[in-house]
Amino acid sequence: MRYLLSSFCLLFIACGSYPKKHDFQIEKVATNNVQNFYFSNENEDYVYKANIDVYDNNFSGIFIVKKIEESNHRIVFTTEMGNKIFDFSFVNNTFRVNFILEDMNKAILINILKKDFRALIQEKLPIIKSYSTQKDTLVYETTLDNKTYFYFKTQQLDKIIRVGNGKEKVAFLFSEINDTIANRIQILHSNIKLNINLKLFK
Amino acid sequence: MRNIIYILFFMVALVNAQTKMSNAESAVLKTKVKAHATTINTLLSDFTQYKHLDFLSNDIISSGKLAFKSPDMVKWEYLKPFKYSVLFKNDKLFINDEGNKSDVDLSSNKMFKQLNSLIINSVKGDMFDDNEFDIAYYKKEANSEVHFSPKDKEFSKYIKAFHITFNDEGHVVELKMLEPSEDYTKIVFNNRSVNTPLSDAIFAQ
Repeated sequence: MRYLLSSFCLLFIACGSYPKKHDFQIEKVATNNVQNFYFSNENEDYVYKANIDVYDNNFSGIFIVKKIEESNHRIVFTTEMGNKIFDFSFVNNTFRVNFILEDMNKAILINILKKDFRALIQEKLPIIKSYSTQKDTLVYETTLDNKTYFYFKTQQLDKIIRVGNGKEKVAFLFSEINDTIANRIQILHSNIKLNINLKLFK
Repeated sequence: MRNIIYILFFMVALVNAQTKMSNAESAVLKTKVKAHATTINTLLSDFTQYKHLDFLSNDIISSGKLAFKSPDMVKWEYLKPFKYSVLFKNDKLFINDEGNKSDVDLSSNKMFKQLNSLIINSVKGDMFDDNEFDIAYYKKEANSEVHFSPKDKEFSKYIKAFHITFNDEGHVVELKMLEPSEDYTKIVFNNRSVNTPLSDAIFAQ
């Protein structure tokens, strides 16, 4: 019985909310939506040199994002020599695989990439709660496809975190920001060995 | 009326900027390219790569150097806008990604072996294998353009055709790889030098 109780206690602590664990203070803000402008310009070709670490394998190539029109993005990954590895379309709430190399055509992998990239390109989401941290950062809680996300903003959007069971699952880090272009982007997974590093083509 | 005829004539001329070669002409080109290819012991060339994706506003441009040493060493080195090289040597593929080195053993990988010989053959221009490709010959101004369409169904899922442009000496000046989607990678060669001695250091990893 005692074990059961302490297990419950542990469970309770483990499930403590992400804001509580990180000592966020509730903060009232005037805006209703949190925005991500990094892939929002239809006139821009977003081209990055990419390194993808999956377990002990490293793939490098060119990562391309294009906003075709409102709520319509294309994401393509090619080798340096231009051969396509995958080619995805995100139109409204639909997702389409235009092409994927046979070796990578695994539902589990495609699902992970789909979730990551949808969060990466999502321009606007309604704020559920807002917080401030001791580091003068505003944090906005929101949801996308039933997952909880926290958007961290100082001068600009620096970080997006996907949280599950009160724990960080995926971090999207934006740095070396010029206006609305993030020169460096990292997508880091905590529960699986998958990291994506992007560096803007210059 | 006369104007219309002129315009029509001009349009026909434009369409025909690329005309099919006669059998005799294609045989001459083939002989010339093959003869040149067999004399290549080393090759050094700059290249500019244009990745064309239909939905982008601009092609993605990168550039670098290509080095080949007979029979089967090839180094494909990107210098701008990033430093990245692949070296095919002794049945291995050596990758240097901005200083991060890795290698892949190709001896058991049929596809990579094919890729290696394909790269060598396309750089030399000698892909005239009727068993592997449907081949069509065209004249394009002073140059010749040959279309190689892979016959292998699996392969043609990735590359629909290679278009190789030869100058009048039978040297490759441009290589275009077309995907089934019509997106393509175009590689333009310049500052090409054949049979200048290349030190092994170039092919060291």
